[in-house]
This record gives sequence, structure tokens and C-alpha cells, in this order.
Amino acid sequence: MNREPVLELENVGKHFGALKVMEGVNLTIAAGERHALIGPNGAGKSTLFNMISGMFPPTAGEIRLRGQRISGLPPHEINRLGLSRSFQITNIFHRLSVFENLRIGVMARHGIRYGLFTPVSRMRTVNEEAERILQRVRLTQRRDHPAGDLTYSEQRALEIGMTLATGADVILLDEPTAGMSREESQRAVQLIREVTEGKTLLVVEHDMNVVFSLCDRVSVLVYGRILATGTPDEIRNNAEVQEAYLGEEVA
Amino acid sequence: MLARIALIAGLLIVLIAVPPFLGIGWQNALTNMLIASLFAMAFNLLVGQAGLLSFGHAAFFGVGAFATLHLMGAIEDRIIAFPTPLLPLAGAVAGILVGAFAGYFATMRSGVYFALVTLAIAELFHSLAPHWDGLFGGEAGLSSMRMPWAGLTFGSPLQVYYLALGWTVVSIFLLWAYTRTAFGRLTLALRDNEQRVRFMGYNAHTTKVIIFSISAMFSGIAGALLAVSNETANYSLFSTHVSAQVVLHTFVGGSTVFFGPAIGASIFTLFAFYISEVTRTWLLYQGLIFVLVMLYAPQGIGGLVQTHIQHWSKISWPELGRAYAVAAAVAVCLTSALVFVVESFAIIFSPEYAAVRGRLDGAWPPFKLFGLEWEVFSPFTWIIPLGLLAVGLLLLPTARRMLRETWNHILERAEAARIAKSEIQLAGAVES
Amino acid sequence: MEFLIISTLNGVTYGLLLFMVSAGLTLIFGMMGVLNFAHASFYMLGAYIAYTVATTINFWLGLLVAPILVGLLGIFVERNLLRRVHAYGHAHELLLTFGLAFIFEELIKLIYGDFPVNYSMPDYLRFPAFTIFGTDYPFYRVFIGLVAVGMFVFLYLLLSRTRAGLVVRAAERLPVMAESLGHNVPLVFMGVFGTGAAFAGLAGAVAGAFFPTNPNMAIELGVIVFVVVVVGGLGSLEGSLAASLLIGLFSSFAVGLDWSLAGLLSWVGLGDWARSVGGLFTLTLSSISGTVPFLLMLIVLLVRPAGLMGERN
Repeated sequence: MNREPVLELENVGKHFGALKVMEGVNLTIAAGERHALIGPNGAGKSTLFNMISGMFPPTAGEIRLRGQRISGLPPHEINRLGLSRSFQITNIFHRLSVFENLRIGVMARHGIRYGLFTPVSRMRTVNEEAERILQRVRLTQRRDHPAGDLTYSEQRALEIGMTLATGADVILLDEPTAGMSREESQRAVQLIREVTEGKTLLVVEHDMNVVFSLCDRVSVLVYGRILATGTPDEIRNNAEVQEAYLGEEVA
Repeated sequence: MLARIALIAGLLIVLIAVPPFLGIGWQNALTNMLIASLFAMAFNLLVGQAGLLSFGHAAFFGVGAFATLHLMGAIEDRIIAFPTPLLPLAGAVAGILVGAFAGYFATMRSGVYFALVTLAIAELFHSLAPHWDGLFGGEAGLSSMRMPWAGLTFGSPLQVYYLALGWTVVSIFLLWAYTRTAFGRLTLALRDNEQRVRFMGYNAHTTKVIIFSISAMFSGIAGALLAVSNETANYSLFSTHVSAQVVLHTFVGGSTVFFGPAIGASIFTLFAFYISEVTRTWLLYQGLIFVLVMLYAPQGIGGLVQTHIQHWSKISWPELGRAYAVAAAVAVCLTSALVFVVESFAIIFSPEYAAVRGRLDGAWPPFKLFGLEWEVFSPFTWIIPLGLLAVGLLLLPTARRMLRETWNHILERAEAARIAKSEIQLAGAVES
Repeated sequence: MEFLIISTLNGVTYGLLLFMVSAGLTLIFGMMGVLNFAHASFYMLGAYIAYTVATTINFWLGLLVAPILVGLLGIFVERNLLRRVHAYGHAHELLLTFGLAFIFEELIKLIYGDFPVNYSMPDYLRFPAFTIFGTDYPFYRVFIGLVAVGMFVFLYLLLSRTRAGLVVRAAERLPVMAESLGHNVPLVFMGVFGTGAAFAGLAGAVAGAFFPTNPNMAIELGVIVFVVVVVGGLGSLEGSLAASLLIGLFSSFAVGLDWSLAGLLSWVGLGDWARSVGGLFTLTLSSISGTVPFLLMLIVLLVRPAGLMGERN
């Protein structure tokens, strides 16, 4: 890979009080790469996501987005710099319509944060873009339903749509297929592949089928450290990884 | 939509055309109704739309009133010239400034802690105002006069009423327009899920401060209208009772429906005016109504109306009519029993009655209620409320069962229709 | 010196009284997450019930009956009202208790009138505990303090030494866990609510005979009690005790001090300027003694919402 790095983690560490959950994590993700983060439960995948997206700052090290330091920034500023994330537990606006959920994101992309003087219905570009995303995540039929009424896999699709809507080109997806049946998760992978075309993707995933079919590179996180990074094949054949992680799955 | 516009237009015509034919008392009551409605609507922007429960909105209502009185005083002393109809602008400015300052701190916290911060802010004003002569006129408060302007004297309650009507209608229209803007939608998103709003690139704190300030601004206008109407204000405007009233109005009216708070405020203020000449126990009934609404209709009156409109086509009216007839019978029985007991107690325990007893050496004279005389210790007196109570309680389970079953039927039909519709849609999608 | 000692004594007794009411409030919040607006109403009801019993039968019987009745009322409120709105969330629980406070106040006005009632201690309790600087210090103030201390000891032993207390503490920290371990958590909630109410009722019965008993006592004490539980840390019993004493002492000292910002500024030579400006600068501490607790509460809420001794933020 000799493409330009987009997201860089350098010696990132985190401890809560005396409890060290992460230490010396180094990771570089290049533009357009689809990178998977795998590892057993409690390895610190969500913690890493939370630090990158600004939920809380790392206690050590530095995170850079296109060379600019983002560690320690609040989530909304990181988002405005072009990094958007989804959540493992569906995190949508339950009482708003599906369309409205997406439009909130599109508004943010256009910097309409304090739009108090124009009716939102007259913002043509915003509405058209929201409709387009609605189509791409295949929720047109559910446009005016409250998001809380959607089925689980529909909500997961909406979750991805909202993550895209803010226009970021670095996308972090936290277990996008968790809790889905095999077919549902196949469809979700297809959707993710389509909608993240041309974007940089970092995804936490448990399902190895999903990981190996979706991503071009994989990092294995174990006990708060990166054990290995490489192509799916390299990871599959890495003895250390097999012992620490894949072996468990097989056994 | 057309029906709604027609309804609002009709209401406006009534509000414009009818008051000249009413007595001064009613005109004043209607002015108070408008003020309370606007205050509740402003409050609900924060509570209903942004999901931030404030227990100290009296602060902004009061600040608006005092600012307006200062301006009125300056006009009266000929320090500045200012059109009288625009006086509430002083309330708006004071409201938005104090609101931005208070809101900056209050919105750093959420939930119960937010409620407590707002409570403390109002209490701060309430405890400080009586000792601060320059700003709040000490314990006596401030007074001033409405000055004539452009040939209008603003001397009669009717003119004040129209002034209040104009400001209330414009303010409520602006509050409605707010819900149609991008920021209005963001407000709802914030109520649903603040965390997600932050991860979508919005600064949640700034957003909340702006919402808080706008709510405080319209509360300030409401307070200003009160100052214009009463020509006086004192520190009691900051009391918990004022904050409490707006909470009661809003939630009885229904905080999830746009006009709900105005409905609640109107019903309560008009009822209070109508009834408070008859009884001093009005506040007790108000509290009971509030608690009953919280227990059995948490969406408020507006929510009930909305539910009916929403399921209009699915309602089987004969069935619902029967259920409501029984429920109404129960309500009449229980309410009459309650009112009889409360009103009797209000008389028996009153100082006046005690004075009469004193003159009669401690005897218990009969008391007058509903145009009849009742003996205090006669069983006949208490058989009536007890009988009504017994009938009401006896029918209560039936009424509840009928209501529950009727509404279950309606909701089942609505659900079935919804599923059928989405199946048709899906079929259409597959074909296309 | 006289001012110092008398103010300290008065402050401590008032603080202990505040603690009797705030203990229940803070425990209920810690366990159930419900900020009970009607809690100070229990205090008022206790005073009025005790007054009724004292004027018809006997003062001591009043002190016994008031907490029992108020405790039963608390149980009723928790079981039949709060539980019903629980599903709608904490805001609704808050609003319900707020409505109840409203009703209790109006009921008291209905029956006893909107003016103070003449509830006072029996004459044989009206003697000085000791004489200091030529002033008699009333025994009854000491009595109020003793009741509060007794209650604290009782509560402390209950929570730390008994099985029920263990379950209460478990339920406070991890209600779902406690429930899945087979403890009857709803029963525990009801018990805590009832006990808290009973203590507030007892406080009312005891204090009402010394301080004025009127329909405003609930709202007046209520807001101060909120200050106490916030400053102490919502959910922390020890914090409540410390904050009660702090607020009690402050209130009793502030009344006698005419400090002002102008006075403070005169130390740096700006006194005359400040006095000429007036307004905030010349307000004396004694005149704004009612304001300071709320200021303190605001500062605590904004800087350290967990309070003096709370664990959670």
C-alpha cells in the first residue's frame, strides 16, 4: 500500500483510573482502504472507536486525520473534519421519521447548524440529497415511518445511512451486522460495499465471513494491543493470531 | 390541513370579535388567558420539543415583566420616547439575554440536574429581588403607567387585550414557524438522542443554549404583557408558584402536541376566573386534575384529542359512545361527591364558620351549599356524597374495562390497516 | 463570643432538623432515581397531624402517630401512584410528586386555613437547658437535635448492621442485580419510601412545635432541603448530614452579619466607589442570607454535580 495515509494512530493508550485498557496502539489506514478491526470481546475495539470519534480522549499518544491531530477534540468537530461513525447499539432518533433522521445528517453536511430563518421544506438540495441516501439504503418505502417502528435490520441500514449523511469520507462502522441472520448480514455487506464506494472504511466486526469478504486489510486487537495487521490471507495464516483469536473460534 | 387552518381562523375571529361585548372582568380574564397561553407555549419549546424539564421558568417571565416596567418608567419620565405597543420588546430582549446566560450554565447538565439548576436560578431571583431596590423595587416592586401613543390611550382593558392578542398571535405563529425550520427539526432530534446529534457534527451545548434563549425570550414577552396589563410587578413573579403554574398548564394541555400547552393554559385560567368567585378551593382541584392527568392520560388533553383525530376512521362510534357514557357517569358521580365534600369542608373549617360557632357557644349551625341548608352531623347530609361515591366506585371497573376494550379494538384495527398497507407497498416494490 | 456560640448552637440544631428531612429524600433519590418534590410535604403533614393529636389528646402521642401515618401515606404514594407512572420515565415521576406536593398544600389550607396554627410544645418542656451569657438556651432546641441524632444513629445501624440494610444498599447500587439475586426490590423501594416519609413526618411533628406550623412550611423547607441534598451529593447520607450542618450554620450566622461586597472592596480602597454604585455591592449578607444557599447549590451543580460526598456524577 503506498496510498496516502488518512487515519493514523500513534502510540495510543487509554486507562480508566488504574485500569489500563489500551497501550501503544499504532495503526495507519490509507485513503480508500477497507480496514477491519477484529479481536475477542473486551479487547478494546469499542474503546478505540470511542477515542477516534471523540467520545473520550486517549490518555496517551496521538490520533491524526489527514495529518491533523484530532485526539482530544469533541465529537462534533471530528465529524466536521470528515470522520463519521455508527454505533453498535442502534443510535437513531426514534420518534422522528426515517427521512428526518437522514435529513439531520445532510443538514450537518451543508453546515446548516443554526438554520432558524428558512423552512426546512424549502431547502431543495438538502431534501434531494436526503432522498438519495434514503434510496441508497433502500428505505424509500419506510420514508415517513417513525424510525422506532422499523425492523432491526432496517434500523441498522438507517444507522449506516445516518453515518453517511454527514458527508464524511472516513467511515467507522461498529459491528454493522451484529444480531443479523446470515441473509440479512449478506445484504448488509452488499449495502456497505455500495455506499462506502470511494470512502475509507474502518469496521469492527465479529463475523469472519463479513470481514474476509468486505475488507482488504485486517488488524487484530487483543488485550488492548494490535497483535497483527495485514491482508485477510496474511491474518488467516498468522500463527499468533490463530492461537490468540481464530483458534478459539474453531475450538 | 385545510380543516386546521379553518379552525384557527375561526378561533381568531372569535378572539377578535367577541371581547368588545364582554364585561371588563372577562376582558381581563381573556388577557390573562393569552399571557398564560404564550408563557406555556414558550415553556413547551424547551420541555416538549427539546425534552429539557425546567422548574424555574418564572425567572424569565419575571425578568421580562421587570424590564418592561423599567422601560415604561423611562417613557413616563420622558427620558425616552417609545411606542407603547412595542413595549414587550423590552421583555423579549431581557428574556433572551438572561436566558442565554442562565441557559449556558443550565444546559451543561441534563435530566434531574438540569431541573435543579433551573429551580435554583429562579430561587436566586426570588430571594434576591426583595432586597434589591434599584432593579426590582424591593418588596413593593415596581409600578408604572401605560402612556398614550399615536392617539391610542391604552386606558381600557379592551385595548390592552388587543395588544396582548396581537403579540400572542405573532409569537405563537413564530413558535410554529420555528418547528418548520431546520433548527426546529434539530431540536426534536436533540430531544430524542443528544449523543447522536453530537456525532453528526452538531455542537449540542450551543444548540441547547439557543433553544433555551428562544424559550426564555418568548417567556419574557409573556411577562412583558403581564407588566403592560397590570402596570406593576413585584418579586412574587419569581416564586415557585409561577414556575409551577406553567408546568401544570403545559402538561395538562399536553406537551407533545403543539397547541396543547395553550389549551391547558386557557382552560385553567378561564376556569380559575369563572370558578374562583365561587370557591377558594380551585387550586386543590387544579392539583387533582394535574395528578389524574399524569396518572391516566400522560399525553394530556391535547394528546387525547390528537389520538382521536389520528384514529378517526377506525373508531366505532356507537361502541366508543357507550364506553364514554359510562365513563362520564362515573366521572359525574365521583366529581360531585368530591366537590360536595371539599366545599362542605371549606365552609366548616373556615374562620367565618368558626366565628359563627363562637357566637353560638360552640354549636354547629347548618351550612349553606348549592342553595340548600345542610346539618353538619346529620347523616342525611353525608348520605348524598357517600351514595354518589359508592355508585361511582361500583361503576368504575366497568367503565375502565369498556374504555380499555374499545380502545384496544380501535388500535387493533389501526394496526391491521397499517400492516395491510405496508404489504401492498412491498408488493408494489417487488413488482416494480 | 456570645453571637458565635449561640449562632453555632442554633445552626447545629437547625442543621440537624434539615438532616431529618433530607435523609429520606436523598436515600429515595439514590435508590429509585426519583427526586421527590412531595417530600417536604411529608414534613408539613407530620406537623399538622401532630398538632391535631396534641390539641385533642396528647403531645407525645402526636409525636408517635404523626410519623406512622405519614409513613403509611408514603407507602401508599409509592405503591399506588409512583409505580403507575414509572413506565413513562423519571420526568413523569418528578411531575407526579410535584402535583402531589401541590395537592397536600391545598388540602392543608382547606382544613386548617391559610395561616399558621398554634402548635406548641407542652409547658413542662418550656425550660432552659442551660444559661449562657445571661441568655437562657431553650431545652426544646436541644431536644430537636437529640431526636435528629437518634434518627441518624438508628438509620446508620439499620443500613450497616441489618440484613434489610444490606439489601437496601445493594438495591441502591445495582437494582437489577439485587432483584435477580432474589431480593424483593419493589418491597425494598416501598420500605425506603415509607421510612423516608416517616422520618420527615417525625421531623415535622417535633419541629412544628417550635418553629411556625403553616401551609407554606413545605415549600419553604422544601427548596432548602433540595439545596442540602444537592450540596451533600444526591444519594449520599453522610453528605446530607454534612451539608445540613453547613447550611444550618450558615443560615444562623448570616442573619447576624452585615458584610457586603462594598465592605469587602473597602479593604482595597474601593469601598466608597462601590457604595456610590449601590445595587449588588451594598446588599448585606444578612439581607441575602436566603440567596446564598441557592448560589451554593448552583455552584455545586455546575462544578461538582456529585456533591460533597456523592460518588456518581
